Amino acid sequence: MSVAVVDLLMPKLGLTMTEGVVSQWSCQPGGRFAPGDILLVVETEKIANDVEATASGVLREILVPEGETVPVGAPIARWEPDGAVKAAAAPVSSQTAAAPTGREEGRQVADLTSRRPEGARVVATPYARRLAAERGIDIPSIAGRGEGGRIRAADVLAASANGEPDAPAVSVPEAEPAFRGGGKLVQPTGYQRSAARRLSAAKRDTPHFYLSAEVDVGELLGLRQKLVSGGGIERLTLTPLFLLAMAQALREEPNANRVWSDDGIVAFDTVDVGLAVHTHVGLLVPMLRDAGSLTLRQIAAEASRLTTRTRAGDLSLDDFGGGAATLSNGGMFDVTYMSSIITPGQSSILGVGSVRSVFRPDVEGRPILRQEIGLVLSCDHRVFDGVLGLRLLSRIRGYLQDPLSLLIR
Amino acid sequence: MAEVRFGQAINRAISDAMAQDPTVVMFGEDVAAAGGPFGVTRGLAERFGGERVRDTPISEATIVGAAVGAAMSGLRPIVEIMFMDFITLAMDALVNQAAKAHFMFGEQCSVPMVVRTPHGGGISAGPQHSQCLEAWLAHVPGLKLVCPATIADSYSLLRAAIADPNPVIFVENKALYALKGELPDEPENVAIGAARTARAGQDLTIVTYGAALAPALDAAATLASQGVEAEVIDLRSIQPWDEAAVRRSLARTHRLIVFHEAVEAFGVGAEIVARMSDVAFDELDAPPLRVGAPFSPPPFAKSLEQQFQPSADRLIHAARRVLT
Repeated sequence: MSVAVVDLLMPKLGLTMTEGVVSQWSCQPGGRFAPGDILLVVETEKIANDVEATASGVLREILVPEGETVPVGAPIARWEPDGAVKAAAAPVSSQTAAAPTGREEGRQVADLTSRRPEGARVVATPYARRLAAERGIDIPSIAGRGEGGRIRAADVLAASANGEPDAPAVSVPEAEPAFRGGGKLVQPTGYQRSAARRLSAAKRDTPHFYLSAEVDVGELLGLRQKLVSGGGIERLTLTPLFLLAMAQALREEPNANRVWSDDGIVAFDTVDVGLAVHTHVGLLVPMLRDAGSLTLRQIAAEASRLTTRTRAGDLSLDDFGGGAATLSNGGMFDVTYMSSIITPGQSSILGVGSVRSVFRPDVEGRPILRQEIGLVLSCDHRVFDGVLGLRLLSRIRGYLQDPLSLLIR
Repeated sequence: MAEVRFGQAINRAISDAMAQDPTVVMFGEDVAAAGGPFGVTRGLAERFGGERVRDTPISEATIVGAAVGAAMSGLRPIVEIMFMDFITLAMDALVNQAAKAHFMFGEQCSVPMVVRTPHGGGISAGPQHSQCLEAWLAHVPGLKLVCPATIADSYSLLRAAIADPNPVIFVENKALYALKGELPDEPENVAIGAARTARAGQDLTIVTYGAALAPALDAAATLASQGVEAEVIDLRSIQPWDEAAVRRSLARTHRLIVFHEAVEAFGVGAEIVARMSDVAFDELDAPPLRVGAPFSPPPFAKSLEQQFQPSADRLIHAARRVLT
């Protein structure tokens, strides 16, 4: 009777996750674990995540050491479930095999197999091999999602789109990295690698169009001042006002609160707005959930909490993903227009520039000093047509120019 | 344009050929006075006379043997074997004589004859009256074999078979005799060996022929409702078969299923799958599959025969497998 040692696979911890870093093993070979025990910590581009066991067993072998990045579905360890005889009768690809990786994605993880132990046979279809050869992709580096883990053409194309493999096709001699004028090769961090791939894909695959407008924010600045000095909302910045304007505008243009997916257009029930936050790791986009039903005071509190906790690396996965739009406020820097790349998975992003003092002619042609900001709305043309984008931007502008309307609902 | 049944289209093809060419003759069991066991040859004896349309004794070896002799001496005989199951009794005449004469006698003669014969089940006719034995004949160099699936093809392929200088087996599926459809006043010419794309698609190639075309199209419609566009190729001709058409389709879809009523083992599907695995290996993105009858004689009982005959459901099941 064979001992039922099965693969532990890199779990998929979010819709957009394609690879993960094994940052720490909490369980060592030979160690026993029970449901709820933390097996390892997996880092994605967004967050570090404890992976808990949902079944009991013994960890037999670690295949991926700490610090290494592997695609979702790749075996990262071997383990032996308790009651091995019973488990041995079950097919390897059944839920049993993936049980300890946990979470609701358990089944999905179980269906994926990929990077095999050294020397194991790689099963790929003839057409997949041809495609891989044409694209210079190393077959063993591809995650096979066909029957029994077979690599099919679709897997090669997915790997090709994801930018696999990491290794360059042509080997470069290590001794003399020739950079004109000197320099050195810097290894990108996991975040940088992942951001590079995701943003390249977003810019390449999402048909962007851009609408810009100059907005008189004299009243908005006045209102903010009153709210702060009047003791209404302490330390109120402009960001919550922008977020509120976006949330209200999206609520009134439900067709803009949608995103494109392979299966169809997703129409969201709630208006969730992302907030681009700069951290020491890089740019992250936590989400204000249901911003469409929050008051200014609530939005200000939530935006402040998200910013602080994002910078502290202290958010949960639930704080990321979903929503149709993001606010990216570059106002603290001296910038006039900011045309942004749409956050992967969303359909629009609003880039906000700095407040600038400009002279504008009044009705009689005399110069009037005004406070203005430049807005650029980037839209996904698969979800937006030009008119929908113009309407959304016009509503946002309306709220910012007449901010009292923001407070009355 | 007239609405006719499958058998009537065949009748018109024979009739048109006989009217056009006095060397075309027709004989077999019950084809003259009775008008054929399925009524296909009704009225031909009256129209063309007892010299050209003859009833024969119940001896398949004699019927086909006489046809080979008549073809070698200047006639273009069309003969009928009442059920394909009985072609066993005519195999020597077909395999050793008809198929070999042109080759063995230094191309001094050809054997321009047609054997019409019905195959297929679904009518509870039992193990000796329901078989699809086309693979046997397609295996013999020197014989051609066609198997139409539509009204128009039944006419056009039979005309092509009669005009061909070689022995051609024309296989009619019994289930198609009830088929009704339009036959153009001037049906187009169809070359033996040319397949037809019955349905275009880019996700999967289903190769089929004869009565299996209908369930194949049903399966394709069901798959389409699930977002899978199957291409359905009606081979029309099995020997020779349109290798280029299948290969072109496979180069787009990268997935292949051959679907036929005949027993799966050692059959037409096996040949097509083997050939594509050879010449189009690098196109395959899934195992090429066959869907045919299980390795069993056709059962008598209706309930068992329904299980025995390849269905759209089984084809869909296979399609899911290659699309996984």
